[in-house]
Amino acid sequence: MNRRQIVKGMAATMGGLLVLPAWASAWNTASLQGFQSKLSGLEEALLAEIVETIIPETDTPGAKKLEVHRFVEKIITDCYDQKSRTTFAKGLTRVASMATQSYAKPFLSCTPAQRLEVLTTMSKSADADEQNFIRLARSLTIRGYLSSEYVMTKLMGYEMAPGRYLGCVPVKA
Amino acid sequence: MANLNTDAIKRRTYDAIVIGSGISGGWAAKELTGKGLKTLVLERGREVKHVVDYPTAQLHPWELPNRGQMRSGVNEANPVVSKCYAFGEATEQFFVKDAEHPYVQEKPFDWIRGYQTGGKSLLWARQTQRWSKYDFEGPARDGFAVEWPISYDDLAPWYSYVEKFAGISGNRDGVAALPDGEFLPPHPMNCVEQYFSESMAKTFGGARPIIIGRCAHITQPQPIHLEQGRSKCAHRTLCERGCPLGGYFSSNASTLPWAAKTGKMTLRPHSVVHSIIYDEKKQKAVGVRVIDSNTKETEEFYAKIIFVNAAALNSNLILLNSTSNRFPNGLGNDNGLLGKYIAFHNYRATINANYEGYLDKTTEGRRPNSAYIPRFRNLLKQETDFLRGYASGFSANRGQRDDRNGWGEDLKTGILNPKLNDFWSVGSHMMGETIPKESNYVALDKDQRDPWGIPQLRISVDYDENDVKMTKDFFEQLTEMYTKAGFTNIRTNDSNRTPGLDIHEMGGVRMGKDPKTSLLNEWNQLHHCKNVFVTDGACMTSTATQNPSLTYMAFTARAADYAVKQLKAKNL
Ligand SMILES: Cc1cc2nc3c(=O)[nH]c(=O)nc-3n(C[C@H](O)[C@H](O)[C@H](O)COP(=O)(O)OP(=O)(O)OC[C@H]3O[C@@H](n4cnc5c(N)ncnc54)[C@H](O)[C@@H]3O)c2cc1C
Ligand code: SF4
Repeated sequence: MNRRQIVKGMAATMGGLLVLPAWASAWNTASLQGFQSKLSGLEEALLAEIVETIIPETDTPGAKKLEVHRFVEKIITDCYDQKSRTTFAKGLTRVASMATQSYAKPFLSCTPAQRLEVLTTMSKSADADEQNFIRLARSLTIRGYLSSEYVMTKLMGYEMAPGRYLGCVPVKA
Repeated sequence: MANLNTDAIKRRTYDAIVIGSGISGGWAAKELTGKGLKTLVLERGREVKHVVDYPTAQLHPWELPNRGQMRSGVNEANPVVSKCYAFGEATEQFFVKDAEHPYVQEKPFDWIRGYQTGGKSLLWARQTQRWSKYDFEGPARDGFAVEWPISYDDLAPWYSYVEKFAGISGNRDGVAALPDGEFLPPHPMNCVEQYFSESMAKTFGGARPIIIGRCAHITQPQPIHLEQGRSKCAHRTLCERGCPLGGYFSSNASTLPWAAKTGKMTLRPHSVVHSIIYDEKKQKAVGVRVIDSNTKETEEFYAKIIFVNAAALNSNLILLNSTSNRFPNGLGNDNGLLGKYIAFHNYRATINANYEGYLDKTTEGRRPNSAYIPRFRNLLKQETDFLRGYASGFSANRGQRDDRNGWGEDLKTGILNPKLNDFWSVGSHMMGETIPKESNYVALDKDQRDPWGIPQLRISVDYDENDVKMTKDFFEQLTEMYTKAGFTNIRTNDSNRTPGLDIHEMGGVRMGKDPKTSLLNEWNQLHHCKNVFVTDGACMTSTATQNPSLTYMAFTARAADYAVKQLKAKNL
């Protein structure tokens, strides 16, 4: 069903509540489709593991599977100034070098616990750039995850057209 | 040759010309074509067709290229328009960018514009209240500006007329300061808004009512709305992207397609009106001069009557730029007052607080509206050391917060399980009447021209002492009301924001009884050029505290009715 049909359908229901239409179940990362990553394969994999460390897979997908790393790279490229972009690029390199220093292996080969240790250590670093990198990576990961189609539709009850406003409902226990 | 010429002129001749296709121009187009006039609507911007030209209207948050965040550099390059709350990744296509249409800020003025079919009707916040008799009587009672040439009773039937077609939701509150209209069912107030309303009714004995906002949303479609192809508002609250359901009133969804259906309308986009052509022999306007924004060619179109609906300040600009031997200072400007007595609404003050009641309750769904506090200050008589007063918004929200402190699984659990706040957030913003003054004016800049060779508009508008006193009173009165209602953590904020950002600029071509002190008569006709009608914000003698567009609609429908009658009686 295309969008025009959906709207027609919505218009036809007129009186009643609107049901969540078919798109809600269809997996889609439409807005990232046209985006060309400028990261090398290795850097992209690194960023994917960073976002996955921040929000890992459990019984629901983690940030990597939801392509949050692609969102993070896109938004850094499109929406942040040069200074933040540099901080971010430097931060990625720093994550890689911290892993080798601490565990004598690449971040990608570290265990989840070791990866987490690298990121939390950086978040408490005396170096402002390292702290800023982690702060940015964390907040963008959270934003990308929460605004992903999967999380919005499957976990958070997103409705594009609620068709109602109830001003006084009991809080669910 | 002579024949060819007459043919060419004939092809360019209409019964009526409407300048601008926004909220007021859309109404002029609908009324004039509806009464059988062949009407040319000139629009400087591009064409925006209902639904098909709303590229972002149906995008989900994850489908917006940057999930709502603006690309870097855009806000920096647009210090004016980026201040508007509605300007963003999903709506920028309907706003004028700063560099595209320059103007001169003699004093800081944030001029927010939408140049396209439908004008700002795509972007507005859709709040619609009638003026009351207290508003029309204001200038005469309080001795500022000039007396309005009409009363509430003159406009009331026209309010009814436009409300029924546009679709206005509201509650019949019986409030003297805010007459009831032809309402579709109201949105509900939530528990805390209802509580505040009841609490204030007790405290002030009915003198400070708090009601649900009245807004241009179809809460229950009537046959007239279905006939427009519009349907019930689905509470998407994505209105500024354009609504594919036609759930709210815009020219694009409502008046323009209606006018098109008559077969009498020619809508010409990319047509920048340069000036109105005055014929000294006929002693009236005969047409308009247009610059085609694609070709930059100048063209002329002719008609018996002209409606000026370019939005308040642009209507001033067009008239100021319409010079002739008879009118060297602008069309109809014998008294030199054209462009003067500009006024706006004072939106600089906000107040916020918490309420710790109703913690077992919350809200569900979304509402494209909020509650409203009609003006209570100086309503029946002068009671303060400043003139006039303010209306306010009021809204209560049960916010929620998630826990973002952890890492990994902890973080995931934290953000997926937001907790309701242990308070409701409440807030109000001020909508103050400002007093039109000769010193607040717009004029043509002597040197600078826009990309079409038209003089740039020079804007010189500022607050005065009355606004400062009124702002202080707003803080005092609202603090008292919030305190009496048991709200806590009360915070006031004076943003000192620049005039213009209210987007309620008015005046410059004011109505009045006396041609010596006003430009327009009681029918929105230029006193000195009777076949030119100005029915947008430029005509406003004073500003009251209501959101203005409903009043522009009513003025336009009323003036169009009069114009056609006069035309038929051969008086124009
Ligand atoms: C974010 C926002 C929120 C708002 N909220 C509210 C609200 O809640 N309630 C309310 O009442 N009002 C609100 N407004 C204001 C409302 O949008 C305006 O009052 C209304 O649109 C004015 O109608 P108009 O016809 O005068 O002008 P517009 O709707 O702006 O239309 C003017 C048209 O004229 C065209 N034009 C200009 N110059 C020329 C020229 N030289 N030649 C040809 N065409 C020209 C423009 O391109 C435009 O299309 C809001 C506005 C904004 C932007
Ligand atoms: S709130 Fe109503 S009018 Fe606004 S976009 Fe949604 S459905 Fe359309």
